[in-house]
Amino acid sequence: MATSSQTAVQQDDLAEFMVAARALVGAEWVDTSASKVDRFGENLMPEGNVPVSGVIYPNSTEQVQGLVALANRFKVPLYPVSTGQNIGLGSRAPVLPGQVVVELGRRMNRILEINEEMAYAVVEPGVSYQDLYDELESRGHPLMLDTTSGPPQGGPLGNTLDKGAGYTPYFDHFYMSCGMEVVLGNGDVLRTGDGALEGSKSWNISKYGLGPYLDGLFLQSNYGIVTRMGIWLMPKPPVTQSFFFSFPDDDDIGEIMELARFTKLRGVIPTLLKVTNDIYAFGTETRFPLDRADIRKTIPDAVRKEMQTEHGIGSWVVSGAVYAPTQEAADAQIDVIRALFTKSGKATYIPQEIADENPMFRIHSDSFIGKPTRDEFPLYEWRPGGGATWILPVTPIHGETAKDHQRLSRNILERFGFDYICEHVVGARMSRALHVLVWNREDPEENARADACYKAFIDEYAAAGYPVSRPPTAYQPYAMNRLGHSFLQTCNNIKDALDPNGILSPGRYGIGLHR
Amino acid sequence: MKTYFTEQQIASPILQEAASEIEKCRHYGFCTATCPTYVLLGDELDSPRGRVDLIGKMLEAGGVPDPSTVKHLDRCLSCMACTTTCPTSIDYGKLIDIGREYIEENYRRPLAERALRTLIAKVLPNPALFRLSMLAASVARPFSGVLGSKLAGMIAMTKALKPQKSDFAHLERVDSSGAAGYRVALLEGCVQKVIGVQINDATIRILSRHGCEIYKPRSVGCCGSLPLHMGRGDEARALARRAVDAWHSAIVDEGVQAIIINASGCGTTIKDYGHLLKGDPDYASKAQIVADHALDISEWLVRIGIEPVAPLGLRVAYHDPCSLQHAQRVTSQPRQLLTRVGCDVVNVPERHMCCGSAGTYNMLQPEIAGRLGKRKAENISRTKPEVIATGNIGCMNQIQQYSDVPIVHFVELLDWATGGKKPVALCATALNRG
Ligand SMILES: Cc1cc2nc3c(=O)[nH]c(=O)nc-3n(C[C@H](O)[C@H](O)[C@H](O)COP(=O)(O)OP(=O)(O)OC[C@H]3O[C@@H](n4cnc5c(N)ncnc54)[C@H](O)[C@@H]3O)c2cc1C
Ligand code: SF4
Repeated sequence: MATSSQTAVQQDDLAEFMVAARALVGAEWVDTSASKVDRFGENLMPEGNVPVSGVIYPNSTEQVQGLVALANRFKVPLYPVSTGQNIGLGSRAPVLPGQVVVELGRRMNRILEINEEMAYAVVEPGVSYQDLYDELESRGHPLMLDTTSGPPQGGPLGNTLDKGAGYTPYFDHFYMSCGMEVVLGNGDVLRTGDGALEGSKSWNISKYGLGPYLDGLFLQSNYGIVTRMGIWLMPKPPVTQSFFFSFPDDDDIGEIMELARFTKLRGVIPTLLKVTNDIYAFGTETRFPLDRADIRKTIPDAVRKEMQTEHGIGSWVVSGAVYAPTQEAADAQIDVIRALFTKSGKATYIPQEIADENPMFRIHSDSFIGKPTRDEFPLYEWRPGGGATWILPVTPIHGETAKDHQRLSRNILERFGFDYICEHVVGARMSRALHVLVWNREDPEENARADACYKAFIDEYAAAGYPVSRPPTAYQPYAMNRLGHSFLQTCNNIKDALDPNGILSPGRYGIGLHR
Repeated sequence: MKTYFTEQQIASPILQEAASEIEKCRHYGFCTATCPTYVLLGDELDSPRGRVDLIGKMLEAGGVPDPSTVKHLDRCLSCMACTTTCPTSIDYGKLIDIGREYIEENYRRPLAERALRTLIAKVLPNPALFRLSMLAASVARPFSGVLGSKLAGMIAMTKALKPQKSDFAHLERVDSSGAAGYRVALLEGCVQKVIGVQINDATIRILSRHGCEIYKPRSVGCCGSLPLHMGRGDEARALARRAVDAWHSAIVDEGVQAIIINASGCGTTIKDYGHLLKGDPDYASKAQIVADHALDISEWLVRIGIEPVAPLGLRVAYHDPCSLQHAQRVTSQPRQLLTRVGCDVVNVPERHMCCGSAGTYNMLQPEIAGRLGKRKAENISRTKPEVIATGNIGCMNQIQQYSDVPIVHFVELLDWATGGKKPVALCATALNRG
């Protein structure tokens, strides 16, 4: 478990802080009960849980500001979370022990505005994807959400701040955010972009404003607590039609990436392409075959092939969608895509009508219409034991490199006895290669292997020239240290300027450990 | 999650079953965000995984349960939202039933609470007693102020309830008026038989019109669901055995193809009869056969197809009863049927959340139930419906207390659209067919 003298909290200070916090937000909104702090310290990581000192539920930006002031006064570190559904990337637990979790989602969960005409929403941290989806649905879906395939009760604000992304043309959640309100570590309230102008009418429609563009500072960092954010929404297209192709062989990833680059660069496909490997696809409905393979090792290729046949897919499933004013127009677009993807003779086309009968494919159709789904959760159960996390190296949309990356990933995973479970989420130039690592967290030996495996991914991808882009809390400092001294030092300099006492989420993404 | 049962404890099949379920909990934490009591109260011990831990510790320790454990387990709605959220295969329903039965057998509740629970457990499953008690409630209503809050709440709740007359209650068999030649049995229920006869009548009409001959064996009363969720396993099993006897012979001797249930809370219990009676060698296999034939009315109607005579053209907010959406995973069929008869079906925001009815929950936990009921009614009103439709009498009564929008069982709308009567709840409105 991580420990650090920098975050050691004086117990007297902590007690005084809690008294003052209770006076500020109301006693019932400060919880230091054993059951609460135990649960909030839980993550799914190999190194173990990270105990927290308490949980506080503020109701407003003013209360957040008040808490930050108290934290500065008593030198108590705070760890803000929004909906707190970061399950697999650290859950609600901080990087270092002893921090006080500020759970914004419980009380700050209002949809502040939906502007149907200008197609945006303004949300507080606790608004979940499901909340927003339900609200849009009750309005007859004038606008469409872009959501993740993670927890529907996770939310756009927390996800954006962790550089999360979805699948529709609005997949880039940060790019589609506009205007933040932030309580900085020094207690100031910052309104980014046009919001800095008193009485601004363009806060949530004009992205870059006047002067330096500051919003990006609050992503994967610990400089402020974001208390509201604008998000742009896409008008719901009259027709959405998904398409699916199954490719038989592992090395077909090369052909797929070449096709993906060609079609994405030319705007043939409006959504991202999801390139899902066999286990990622059928792992949502079945588990590691204990009767056919040794759980301490990587599943043998022969067994994997058997399972592909059982589930009616090959090594890779490619999915995407088109949007159109009419079904005929959608069908015409699909015909073009189909002709391209089936040209080499390797791919089998699966139309949406057939695919949607199978939950394994329906996950994808749902993501292209921005519908939150829980159907991917069972991937965490592929192997028993409750250890689960994500490894997200960047892969260029380039056939040979993608094949190299597959070989590299398979090689690392095989050395540590785990399985290659991967979905490339493919744009025009790069893919988020979502690898799921699952292991038995109740077995110390497996924990040690999982830990070494994660670090090997960071090291070996870095050596190949690619960072692992969104590590869980447990590996954030390790991954950031691979980026070189100057980058981290600059991050720390900004930390010193905006949060001079280092009271916000010290250690998150490795920032703030220098003191 | 690791358990620490002794070898002696594990020799008990019940504790073994509990242990194997508890061990499936991985502490992911997905479940908390959709658990109504956690969402309302924010207490970890009022979350699914909190309760899984509490049940484990209670059973491992043996002896008299801790009052705090009893409090947190009592607050569980048995809504099963946690089971649709959790990716493990943990059967929380079985676990909470084991926990409740253990409490019932090993914990002495305060006198007033014991009396209330006994009253509920004796009265509700018995239609004659229930009718009498409603009469008594109307007499007692003016004296609510001097009664305990729970009893007063229950009495207030009965205000909206009116026993009605059925066209079919006296018959054990209703002929088909269609040609298809289906044979089905129908559960009339206990509570529903008194305060929801219009649902049974609409069900019988639509089934008969679509070619079903309907059996209603008189010996079938309460399915056992109400006592089961109060921890009274023996009473539940006794009621279940009676139902199994009747339905098993209907299946074997009369060629009944399905047991139709239109109160989804009961449906969940009946579909699980195989498990409920698995320890009884005389009944285990018969119970499984009955369970395998149990279908919600919506599942059956989708299977046989329905023919509307006049489209309804109503904006209908469909409220998913927890027992249908979470326990039985029946969500598309009611929507499909309502759409088929021309309704514009809208989903209710937070549709995974319980309305607070939850069997006897709104009588035993009126404060939490009231908050959930209000929240549900507010969410429904956001969809601006003309009618609310659902699939369970409990939800109907609960939501009705907090909403001005008329509420019906979806089968009443289906019956109306296929040539039956206008639903009672809509009679006073200007809403019309076609
Ligand atoms: C099966 C599965 C599939 C997934 N698929 C995707 C996917 O497709 N795309 C994707 O992006 N993610 C995916 N995820 C990851 C996860 O769902 C998201 O990252 C989730 O949105 C994060 O949880 P949250 O929204 O509750 O954020 P939170 O947990 O609230 O926030 C995440 C972190 O951001 C910081 N933070 C949060 N709020 C604030 C604030 N207001 N101020 C300052 N810092 C803050 C905190 O450090 C916090 O820990 C998936 C997860 C699972 C389990
Ligand atoms: S059954 Fe419902 S109330 Fe009970 S723990 Fe599960 S989600 Fe919560």
